[in-house]
Parts: sequence; structure tokens; C-alpha cells
Amino acid sequence: MTTVSLLDVASYLPGEPVPAEFYTDYPGAETALRDHSMFKPPAYRHHVAQNETAVDMIEQACQPLIDRHGIAAIREVDVLLVHTQLPDLPFVGCGTEVARRLGCHPEWLIDVHNSGCASFVYMLKLAKQILSSTDAKTALICNAQNAAGQVFTQSEVRRMAQASVPGDGCGVGYLAASRESPLLATACEHLGEHAGDMTVSCEDRKYWEAGRSQVRIGFTDAKIAKVISRGNRLVPDMVTRVCEQIKVATTDIDILVTNQPNRTFLRNWHEALALPPERHLDTFEECGNMFGAAIPVTLDRAIQAGQVKDGDLLVLGGFAHAGDFAGAAAIQWRAGPAMAGRP
Amino acid sequence: MRTDQFPLADIPGLHRVETTSRDQMMAAVVEMTHSVYPHDQVYGSYCTIQGHIDCPPELVFEYLKKGHHLEEWTYSLRGFRPTDQAGLWAGEDRLEHGTKIYCRVTANAEAMTVDYHCAWDQADTLWMIYLMRVVPAEVVLNKPGAVVLWTNCRHPYYDGNPHPELASTPGRPWVGDYWDLFYAGHTLELNNLKAILEHRHRAGLPAVTRPASVVAR
Repeated sequence: MTTVSLLDVASYLPGEPVPAEFYTDYPGAETALRDHSMFKPPAYRHHVAQNETAVDMIEQACQPLIDRHGIAAIREVDVLLVHTQLPDLPFVGCGTEVARRLGCHPEWLIDVHNSGCASFVYMLKLAKQILSSTDAKTALICNAQNAAGQVFTQSEVRRMAQASVPGDGCGVGYLAASRESPLLATACEHLGEHAGDMTVSCEDRKYWEAGRSQVRIGFTDAKIAKVISRGNRLVPDMVTRVCEQIKVATTDIDILVTNQPNRTFLRNWHEALALPPERHLDTFEECGNMFGAAIPVTLDRAIQAGQVKDGDLLVLGGFAHAGDFAGAAAIQWRAGPAMAGRP
Repeated sequence: MRTDQFPLADIPGLHRVETTSRDQMMAAVVEMTHSVYPHDQVYGSYCTIQGHIDCPPELVFEYLKKGHHLEEWTYSLRGFRPTDQAGLWAGEDRLEHGTKIYCRVTANAEAMTVDYHCAWDQADTLWMIYLMRVVPAEVVLNKPGAVVLWTNCRHPYYDGNPHPELASTPGRPWVGDYWDLFYAGHTLELNNLKAILEHRHRAGLPAVTRPASVVAR
């Protein structure tokens, strides 16, 4: 089977960092839970600008890839996969608009709308499958998280303890049929039995119907405890599974990057995998919970900071929504020639 | 109990619905909930194990309360004989050659609790205490049989032999040196208990046997 490599990643954070006080100093802000690790606001997060679209974010995130690999390489991608947390247009998705902006004509273009916070892992798996079983040679996978500055800054939602946790950002990955930086294994599972436990509510109307109530994202009350126990279990399980496939112990992981819902999950996951916290990288304090974009953004920043060395066993993992998907991917990271152009 | 007589508000650190909101409680318990726990955190100060035995709870209780059965289901307690003190038995713990163990059983039929008060080398202070409770599985698991709960508490003597001069040999390892293996060791012994009682119950044999010392006579 053709080997597929994750050749490069890049990311974009919109605007200046927004301090926690944006939420904590807001009149009527909930304060009761502020000392608890689950709800303690990260120091900073970024917010998508008023007129900035998900496609704008993806275009910005792709610019370093264009700088390093050339515009022709990006225009020639055969596969374009796009996950947008809050699609600019619900009917059409963002993928074709991304293709138009970048000037791509991919044979494979999919708006991935499931796998939420672990969608970077799922798109790695999809890209690997397409690149290894068809004539397609290269793929671009994109995660745009743009809900923080839109949903969580609404006048009433902004008061809620949960509002201060999300942050916006965008991460992209460039893959090729290549042995350079091989994707060693993926483990993904769709868990239909956990579907429906995440809610998007606007009281009694449908989200697109006219009305005054503000859209909220959350979990059904009865399910919160279940979601927490699922999250505690799912990510270590999938990371362990992917390690078993490549016959290494979880303690052999050099760099682990997961989705980043809160500090408690981050703590529990590296504890469960017996990894020291310094090998489990995150951007939670600077960027909040970037949902699906957290993995590629954190990975890009870690590479930029020199934290990922050539030959490192890199494992990416996460779970989606209320646990309806979980996945992990293992990569033998090697920065190729194009990476010499990195800052 | 009248709470106005002894106000709970005077007691710091309570988590009660009157003073801790549901959200605060949820946040606190979530923070305390980990995916995994270090062995020492779970079994460092107390060692509680439990299991289900497919045998009527009354029979399990009858079997446990007759202390000489320790010779059957424990790994290394053997040769129990009555002493001249009523209710006190003396045997050997073959875990360490030549080690005497003393045991007194305190049982409560109504609560189905069986406590083994034991000690190595001497019978003046029976500080190694094995607390067992039998619960009808019908009530707690909605199935036949018995649930057995078993707890040991880390008495300070586990960490320091109060009478080293009574050791069978000068360099003999101390029972408390094995504390970190109690979870595993006791689990294997609970599995012995389960296997013996389930075998006899399935075969229609009596669970209870006569003490070997009586049979020998």
C-alpha cells in the first residue's frame, strides 16, 4: 500500500488575543464556577472578526503552505477536505469556496461535517485512504473553528461560565503519497450510540427561524456526567489502539497532541497514557478550546517552537461532540526540505 | 436529629445542596475524577476489594465465620488450633517460614459481618484486622449469590514491627512489607474463596468443613 505522509502544517489565529476579562468583567457574568479547573477561563483566546468568514481563515492559514511549497503545489492538490465548525452558509458548505479562493480543482472535495474536535484525525484517515488507493497525489485538509467570536460573544451567552473557554483558530495540513513523514496508523471509531447528546438550542424555535433567543451549544443536562466519563475513556483508548497497531507502548510517544476541551481532560489523558505532561502539548492557555482546529494549530506552533524533532513519534488524538466519534493517528514526523523555509 | 440544636453552618467544608449549588458540585466532582489513579492513591492507606460469589449469602457467612476455613481459602494460613484462651486460635503463616499467626473471629449474623482480628508472633494486640461483609446479591445486583466486601486498614504496625524480637528468624521480612501487594494477593485469595464455595454449592456439597485439628483427634 502506498505510504502517505503529513508533509506540513500551518495555522492562523484571527485578531489580537482576547483576555479572560472580556468575559469575567462582563456585567452579569457567572462567577460561581470560576475557580474550578473545568470552567476557569484560559488567559487568552482569539475571536474571528465580525466580517471574517471561515473561508477567509482557511485562506490565511494556507498562506505559509503556499510560501513554503509554492502556489502551484497547493493549486494542484487532488484532495481537499474541509471541516468548518460554523459553516458560513449552511446549504453549500465551505469547501468549494475554499477551492475557488486557492485556485484548486481537486478531484476529491468533501465538506466533512462530523468528527468535530477530532476531525483533523478523521481527515488524515480519509486523505490517507484516498491517496493510497487512487491516482491522487496530494491532499489539503483544513479545520476552521469560528464559533467562539460568533456564538459565545452573544450578549446573553457571553455571561455563561462556558463562554470563556472556546477560542477561534484555523489549522491546515498538507499530505502527499510519500515516505517523507509517514502516517503510520490511524484508529477511528464512530459511536452512533452517543449521537444526539450535544444540543444546539434557541429555546422553542429552530436555529434558522426568526426570533430573539440566542443560539447556545451544550449538552443535555442529564448527559454531562456521561460525556465526561466517555471523554476520560475514549481518547486514551484510541491513542492506545493506534500505539498497539504500530507495536509501541504509549510511553514511547514523543509528542501527543489532542483536542483541548478543558484542563481536566488534558490532565486525565496524559495521566492515563502514563506520559509526562511536557510531552502532551497544548495551546489551551493562549487559545482556549479551538475544537477541531486545536490539533493542527497546536502542532504547527509546536513545530515552529522546535518542540517536534525529526524522527519523533507524533500521536494526534481526540473525541468529538458528546463522544459520537473518537480517533487517533500516529506519524513518524520528519520535516522535509520545504520546512527549511519555516520561521 | 434536630439540626437547629447543632447548626451545620458552624462546620466548615461541608458540601450540601443548601450551600453548594448543583453546578459547583458538578465542577468539583468532575475535577476530582481522573481517567486513572495511581496504585498508592487507591490502595495506600486502605485496601478494599470485593467480588461476587454464586452461593447463597447465608452459606458464605457461615463459612467465613468459622475461622478454620482460612486454611482453605487463604494462600498461606495453615494449621489452626484452639489456644487456652476462649475464641483465640493459633496457626502458622507459611508466607514466612516458622511464623506464628493468632486469630480471633468476631461475627455479626444480622449484619453478616466477619472480622478476623489477627497478628503475627503474639496474641496480646491483634492489630491485623480483616473486615469482611457479606451482602445478598439479590438486593444489590438483582441476581443470586453473595457480594463479599473485604477491607484492610493500614495500621501503623504494618510499617514497623512493634516486636521484632519475636520474629521466627532475625532477618525475616515483615508482613507490612507486602502492603502494596495486598490488592493483588487478597484478590487471588478472594478468587479462592469464590472457587471453593461455588464448587461446593454447584455440587450440592456442604460448604462448611470441620477443623483439621478436630478431625485429626
